[in-house]
Amino acid sequence: MLDVTPTPLQRLLRERRPGYTLAAPFYLSPEVFEADMAVIFGRHWIYVGVEPDVPEAGDVMVVEIGKTSVAIVRDDDNEIRAFHNVCRHRGARLVHEEKSTVGNLVCRYHSWTYDLTGNLIHAEHMGPDFKRGCHGLKPVHVRSLAGLLFICLADEPPADFDEMAAKLGPYIEPHNVRDTKVAFQKDIIEPGNWKLTMENNRECYHCGANHPELTVPLFAYGFGFAPEEMDAHDRAQAERYGCLLKTRHGEWEAEGLPSKEIDELDTMITGFRTERLPLDGEGESHTLDTKAACKRLLGNLTSAKLGGLSVWTQPNSWHHFLGDHIVTFSVLPLDAERSLLRTKWLVHKDAVEGVDYDLANLTGVWEATNDQDSELVGICQQGVASPAYEPGPYSPHTEMLVEKFCNWYVGRMAAHLGR
Amino acid sequence: MTSASSEPAAARLAASAPWDAEADDRLVCLAVRDETHDVKTFVLAPKEPRLFAYAPGQFLTFSFEIGGETLHRCYTVSSAPTRPNAVAFTVKRVPGGPVSNWLHDSLKPGDTVRALGPMGEFSCFTHPAGKYLLLSGGSGVTPMMSMARTFHDLGEARDVAFVHSARSPADIVFRGELETMARLDPAFRFHAVCETDSPNEIWAGPKGRLSLETLREAVPDFLDREIFVCGPKPYMDAVRAMLSQAGFDMARHHEESFDFGALPEAEQEAAAEAEKTLDAEAAPGGGVRTFRVEFAKTRRVLECPENETVLDAARKAGIRLPSSCAKGLCGTCKSKLTAGTVAMTHAGGIRQREIDAGMALLCCSKPTSDLVVER
Repeated sequence: MLDVTPTPLQRLLRERRPGYTLAAPFYLSPEVFEADMAVIFGRHWIYVGVEPDVPEAGDVMVVEIGKTSVAIVRDDDNEIRAFHNVCRHRGARLVHEEKSTVGNLVCRYHSWTYDLTGNLIHAEHMGPDFKRGCHGLKPVHVRSLAGLLFICLADEPPADFDEMAAKLGPYIEPHNVRDTKVAFQKDIIEPGNWKLTMENNRECYHCGANHPELTVPLFAYGFGFAPEEMDAHDRAQAERYGCLLKTRHGEWEAEGLPSKEIDELDTMITGFRTERLPLDGEGESHTLDTKAACKRLLGNLTSAKLGGLSVWTQPNSWHHFLGDHIVTFSVLPLDAERSLLRTKWLVHKDAVEGVDYDLANLTGVWEATNDQDSELVGICQQGVASPAYEPGPYSPHTEMLVEKFCNWYVGRMAAHLGR
Repeated sequence: MTSASSEPAAARLAASAPWDAEADDRLVCLAVRDETHDVKTFVLAPKEPRLFAYAPGQFLTFSFEIGGETLHRCYTVSSAPTRPNAVAFTVKRVPGGPVSNWLHDSLKPGDTVRALGPMGEFSCFTHPAGKYLLLSGGSGVTPMMSMARTFHDLGEARDVAFVHSARSPADIVFRGELETMARLDPAFRFHAVCETDSPNEIWAGPKGRLSLETLREAVPDFLDREIFVCGPKPYMDAVRAMLSQAGFDMARHHEESFDFGALPEAEQEAAAEAEKTLDAEAAPGGGVRTFRVEFAKTRRVLECPENETVLDAARKAGIRLPSSCAKGLCGTCKSKLTAGTVAMTHAGGIRQREIDAGMALLCCSKPTSDLVVER
């Protein structure tokens, strides 16, 4: 390849040292950000929400991925469809609110009207030769994984979505996402590059020092530790966790709840990981008293003592499926140094706020944790901007998943740009 | 029976020459029949016995002398050409309608009227098919009745589905005859859709306006049929939108529209004017009540007849409201009703949940009470 001059990004990818954090431009450079949007967010399956975001025919949800706005609709046959949110007349943005209900999709500029399958069904003053059939909305690939919605902006989406769905589906289905409602949604803008937000999520090294609420239900041991450094107390705790994990996995699998770890984080184009993890205390939910937050359990579940099913997908999501509720997270980059973290709390669709659940109790642990994480991402963003920053080493015991995230990212970028 | 019989009916049956409006345009009223509380049928024939030849669905243009004025109207022949010795037309009384009231109140057996025709391309004979769907709203039933009676009389096992929309069970024109035809002929099916009950009958069939859902239920194979539609303009507009939305091949959709080109030039203008009146008179409903419509934000008030859309009434009153498609499709005219009720025939531009929340599309909403609109 002597006749090819590598771009700075190609050089950065080639020079990335495995086991170490990424070089500063990956977190700071507007050019790298543009490449991230084109390659990672432009050509991979992006998690954007859940079917209960558009529960009934005529419901529309708008999701912004960089400069691309996508309208996700449920049509009259209950099919979920996605379209570029751009009128085919003069390009006006069609739908403006994040959530709305429509009869048809109508551009407010000149009233061009599209039905929910994207066909242009009304356009005044266009003359007899105008062909409506040539001016339908541009579709966007959309798939539902047991109720989780993924979109792909590429013409040809990665083909391994079905493989992910086949493996993850049986884990998620008992929690019946389709039969839930969004009890609460919180958007926060984290002051950091989206990769820092993701890296922070992929380890619990920082949990002990920073997440007093989250570590009530969650065992930090579930995310790795260095055995040689432990004192007698920690060793006993780790052993207790090890036994608990083995016992619970046996029980859950026997109940028909797939529980064992599957890790394809950097071995598939559509990378993912899942495992059902035991919870501390009562073992029921991500709450401060570790008891179920919602009296109405999900799906046909009869017990809340199911621990928490955790699901991670590359490049931009993580999820916790409990017996009584679901918390789901989507990261959408805003620019090189800011990211939107969108969190949704789902409960059974028939659960009644104030009767079956208390909203503050339901959202308390993760609202606190998100705020703490946002601050951590912020101080990291400030730090990597310093001339003194150089890539540092990941812990081989607690940051394996961060390394897998970076490995996946570098691999996917290199696959599209060349190293 | 011989031709020498003195029985006038025998002479009429013995007629062999066709009626020619050029030679004799005067028809005598033979009978007046009550079809419903506000619909009458008028049976006519020439003085000299003649045979009427026409295609079912065609119309005659009449000139009526009313109060010293000559008024022209086109009325579809409601009788069938299989009974050629007389013709009939059927009229709904519309309060304020000069012709319909005169016909109901004054035209009696023995009176004569002038008639031209028959004319028109709107006929099942113009578009032969194995399966028909006849869709009518209100007094739009007349051409469909002529077509249905024709196939019935000919004894042809032609697959005909007839779906009629009426205000209430008491307003279903030709109900008894249509039900009888359906009973006698398995290939003929009749369905009525009513907006409301009548005082003496709770309507057990499909309620409301004709919807794609109702149509699918009544005539599942409607996509395979040749479709004829007649009724008030908003009804025909809604049907057209509904069928095209369902993916129906619109080349096989036919609407009643008067063919002015077939008239002598001097009469074209008069006929066009008559059609406008006819359109207004053809609106469904017993008496035309008028409701008060108040626009809360702009503080305008207008009177809207029950057979007119709020948008049309507002336009006539010089009030500009946001609107585009004017047929219930785009939702541009969607407005909140803070008081009152409307009858709405939309074409997908609004969701039931929005209707439940008090929204309405003004382009296809007719008032059924006084209204306050948040505009």
